[in-house]
Amino acid sequence: MATESSEGEEEGKLTGGSPVLSEDDDLREKGKKASWSVSSWKSGNGVSSLRDDSLETYWQSDGAQPHFVNVHFEKKVKLQLVVLYVDYKLDESYTPSKVSVRAGDGFHSLKEIRSVELVEPTGWVYISLSGNDPRETFVNTFMLQIAVLSNHLNGRDTHVRQIKVYGPRPNPIPCQRFQFTSPEFNTYAFVR
Amino acid sequence: MKKTKTKPQISLLSLSLSLSLSESKMKEEAMEAILRNTVQNSLRHFMYKNAIFFSEFLCAEFPSEANLQLLASCYLQDNRAQCAYHILKGTQMAQSRYLFALSCFQMDLLNEAEAALCPANEPIAEVPNGGAGHYLLGLVYRYTDRRTNAVHHFKQALSLDPLLWTAYEELCILGAAEEAAAVFGEGAAICIQKQYLHHTFASHNSHVSEEDRNLTSSRNLVSAEEVSPRQLKQLSGNNVREVPGSCQGMTTSVRGAGQPPNGVYHLSLYNTPSPIATQFSAAAPPPLCRNLQPNGSNTSTAAADSSPRSTINSTIQAPRRKFVDEGKLRKISGRLFSDSGPRRSTRLAAEAGANAGTNAASVAGNGTNNSSKYLGSSKLSSAAFRSVTVRKVPNWANENFDEGMRNEVFDDCRSNIVSGAGALPSVDNKALDQEGATMPCSGVLLNNSKVLTGTAEILSLLRLFGEGYRLSCMYRCQDALEVYSKLPHKHYNTGWVLSQVGKAYFELVDYLEADRAFSLARRVSPYSLEGMDVYSTVLYHLKEGMKLSYLARELISTDRLAPQSWCAIGNCYSLQKDHETALKNFQRAVQLDSKFAYAHTLCAHEYVALEEFENGIRSYQSALRIDSRHYNAWYGLGMVYLRQEKFEFAEHHFRTACRINPSSSIIMSYLGTALHALKRNSEALEMMERAILADRKNPLPMYQKAKILESLESFDEALEVLEELKEYAPRESSVYALMGMIYKRLNMNDKAMLHFGLALDLKPSATDVATIKAAMEKLHLPDELAEDS
Repeated sequence: MATESSEGEEEGKLTGGSPVLSEDDDLREKGKKASWSVSSWKSGNGVSSLRDDSLETYWQSDGAQPHFVNVHFEKKVKLQLVVLYVDYKLDESYTPSKVSVRAGDGFHSLKEIRSVELVEPTGWVYISLSGNDPRETFVNTFMLQIAVLSNHLNGRDTHVRQIKVYGPRPNPIPCQRFQFTSPEFNTYAFVR
Repeated sequence: MKKTKTKPQISLLSLSLSLSLSESKMKEEAMEAILRNTVQNSLRHFMYKNAIFFSEFLCAEFPSEANLQLLASCYLQDNRAQCAYHILKGTQMAQSRYLFALSCFQMDLLNEAEAALCPANEPIAEVPNGGAGHYLLGLVYRYTDRRTNAVHHFKQALSLDPLLWTAYEELCILGAAEEAAAVFGEGAAICIQKQYLHHTFASHNSHVSEEDRNLTSSRNLVSAEEVSPRQLKQLSGNNVREVPGSCQGMTTSVRGAGQPPNGVYHLSLYNTPSPIATQFSAAAPPPLCRNLQPNGSNTSTAAADSSPRSTINSTIQAPRRKFVDEGKLRKISGRLFSDSGPRRSTRLAAEAGANAGTNAASVAGNGTNNSSKYLGSSKLSSAAFRSVTVRKVPNWANENFDEGMRNEVFDDCRSNIVSGAGALPSVDNKALDQEGATMPCSGVLLNNSKVLTGTAEILSLLRLFGEGYRLSCMYRCQDALEVYSKLPHKHYNTGWVLSQVGKAYFELVDYLEADRAFSLARRVSPYSLEGMDVYSTVLYHLKEGMKLSYLARELISTDRLAPQSWCAIGNCYSLQKDHETALKNFQRAVQLDSKFAYAHTLCAHEYVALEEFENGIRSYQSALRIDSRHYNAWYGLGMVYLRQEKFEFAEHHFRTACRINPSSSIIMSYLGTALHALKRNSEALEMMERAILADRKNPLPMYQKAKILESLESFDEALEVLEELKEYAPRESSVYALMGMIYKRLNMNDKAMLHFGLALDLKPSATDVATIKAAMEKLHLPDELAEDS
C-alpha cells in the first residue's frame, strides 16, 4: 500500500527543467525491471519511446484525458523520484501541464501520492515522491502510475519524451539490515 | 687477430671441394650454409623480416624439414604463430612437433597442440624436447581442465630439468606443488651437475661406433635454464608461459628416461627427399652435447672421455638457439681434424668428431619410437655424414676462433633469452656452443667444483623463491612472507619478489603494507606488470582514487596490450561507481588475454554491482574454468547466491572458498551468514568465532555474531559483543543502530533512543536514516501497536 503524505494532497508548481539528467549516487534507476504500458498511443509513438534513452522520440497519446503511464514492478520496490523529460518549446500544446503520480498494489488500489503542475517546462523535471517525514522518504509499492491530467494550451493529447524512476541503492552487502559507514567495517566488508 | 666468418667457410669449402664430392653438391651445401647463416644472423639482431625472407628463400631452394623448422622459428619469433602453424602442420620430427604444438598453443588450438605432443596413436611416444615438451603439454592439460595430467607433466618437466621454474609455478597454482626444498634439493643439484659435468667427449672421433652415436643430447639448454627463469620473469611479462625454456629436452638420461637426443631432429632430415648436400648441411652441425643414455658403451666412453679436463664453459648457452650456425659448425668440425692448435681446440675437435658421427646416427641408438622412424635412413646417412665431416679439415686451430665463438655464443645466449618466443632450438647449435668448451662463462672457465658451488647457490635461492611462492598459493601468507624475508637484499628488492610480498599482504587484508610493497616494486621495476592488477585492487580497497588513476595511466603507457593495465583502469572507474565503464574495461582485459582469471572475476563483480546476476555468475564460472583455485570467484558466486537468497548454494560456495583459502576471515564470516540464513545457528556462531580468531582486526564477524545472538534472543550476550565492538570501530553507525534495535526489544527505551541518536549522528545512508527514524517513532507508541521495524 502506498503511504499517504501526512499533509494530504499536495499541489506544487514546477517550472523550467534541467537540460542534463544528474543521477545521484544513492539512487538507482528501477524502471529496467518493470513492465511499462500506456493508456493510448499514436502509431509509431508508443511506450518504447519513453524508455529508449532518446530525447528525439516521444510518446504521443491518442484519446481522451487523462492519459496514463503505468509501471508494474516484479516485486515491491522503494521509490523516491520520478523524472520526466518534456519540452514546451518543441511540443507546445502537447506539453503536459497537470501531472499526478499514483501508487498502489494494482489498478484498483492506486492512491495519489504526488501532484504537480508544470509551467512551460523545457528539460528534465524532477518529481520527488518523498513526504516531509523522514519515514516517508520512500514509497514502497508494486505499481506506479503517472497520470497526465491536462496539457498546456488545453491540448488533448500529450507528448512525453522520456521517463525515469528512481529508488535507493540496495545495500551492497546482502543480508545486512544497515549499511556500513566506517572504513574499518568497509575494509573487511568484501573480497574483490 | 679476428677472422671473419666467411673466410673459414671459404677455406673449408675449398678443402671440401678438393675431396670427392662433386662441385655442384658443394656449391649447394655452401649455398644452404650461407643462407642458414644469414637467417641466424638476422634473428640474432631481431631483424625478423630479413630472417623470414631468407628462410622462405632457403625453404624454396632446399626444402627440408630442418629448414622448415628454421622458418617456423622465425615466424614464432615474429609472433606469427599462425604462419608457423601452417607450415609445420603434419610434420613428424620431434622438434617440428614441438614447434607446431607451441604454435597451436599460441593460437589456442589446444587439441591440436596435445595431439602433436602426445600422438594418440603412439601412446608411448616420447614427448619431444623433454622438459620443455612436458611443460607445454602440462599447460595444454591445465587449460583443458585435466588437472591430474597437467600435474603429472609439470612434475615430469621438473624432474627432467629442475631449473624449469615456471613448471613449479604452475604446480603451485594448481595446488599440487611439493615443498621447494624437495624439488630444488639434492636430486636437482645432482641432475644439474651431471648436465654440466658430463660433457663427455665421446671418443675419438673417427670411430663413430653405434654406441657413440647415442651420445647426443642437448643439455646445452641447461645453461639456458639457469639464466632464463629470473630473466624471463623480468623480461617477458605475458609470454613467460608460452615460452617454456624451449629447452630441448634436458638430459633425461640422468634419470634413465630415454629421450630422443636432439640430434634426432636433424636426423629426420634423412627421411626427407633431399640431396645429400642438404642432408649433410642440415646434419652437419653436430649436436656436440652428450646424451647420457644409460647405454653401456656410451657411458663408458663418456666416462672415459669426460676427463677432468671438462671445461664446462657451455653454461650460459643460448637456450633457444635458433639455428645452427653453419659456419661455426664447419669451423668446429674442421678443428676436429686439425692436429695443431691449443688444447682447447683439440678437445673441441675431438668432441666434434665424435659427435658429428654420433649425432647423425644418434637416433639409431635410441630405442624410442620416434627414432625408429629414422633408424634406417639415419644409419646410412650417418655414414655419409661421417665421411663428409671427416673430410673437412680446416686448419685454423686458433684462439681467435675461440674468442669469436665465445662472443657470439654469448650474444646469442642473451639474445635468445630476451627474445622470448619459442625459438627453434637447434640442437646442433647448442651442442656446438657447448662443445665450444671454449665458451667460458663470463670469461671464467668452469670446472667441476665451480659448477657444484654455483649450482648449490642457485638452488638455495630457488628453494626460497619456490617455498615462498608455494606458501602464497596456499594462502599461508604469513609463512610466505617469512620465507621471502630470508632472501638476500639484492633478490628481495626486485620487482618480482616485492610483487609477491605485496600480494601476500593483500591476502592478509593488510592493504597499507601491500601498498608499500607494491609501490617499492614499481620503483624498482617500473616497466613490470606482474601483480599490478592486484595493486590496483589494493588501491581500490584503500579508496585512493588519485594513486589508482595514476597507476592506471602509467600501466597503459607501458603496455597497452597487457590485461593488468585494463584491470587497473577498470578499478578506477569502479571506484567512482561507474560500473558500466568499469565493466567495459575489464572486458577489454579479458579480450586481451582470455586466460587471465582475475579479469573475468572483476567483470563478474561489475555485473553484480549492476545487478545482472546471470552474467555475473557466468563470468565467475569462466574465471573458475581457468583457475579452479581462484577463491575470489568462489566467494563471488557465494555472494550472488546470498543475494538471491539461495542460501544452500551460497553455503556450498563459501565453503569451497574457505577450503582453498583457510585463513580468510572475511569468507568465514560470510559462510557464517549463510549458515545463519539456513537457521543453522550453532554452526553459524562457531564459524563466526573462527573468523574472529583468524583475524582480530576484522570487526565483521563480531557484528554478525551479535546479530545472530539477537535473532536467538540472547540480547545480553549480543549487547556484550557490541560493546566490545564499539572499541574496535567507534564510528560505525550500524553498531549503534543494532544496539538501539536490541534495546528497543528489551523495552529499554531511553537507551534505545540514545543509540539511535548516535547512529544518526554518524551519517548513515538515506535508507538507514529512514529505518532508524521509523524505529524511533515507534518507541513512543505503546507496545501493542508497535510493529517490528
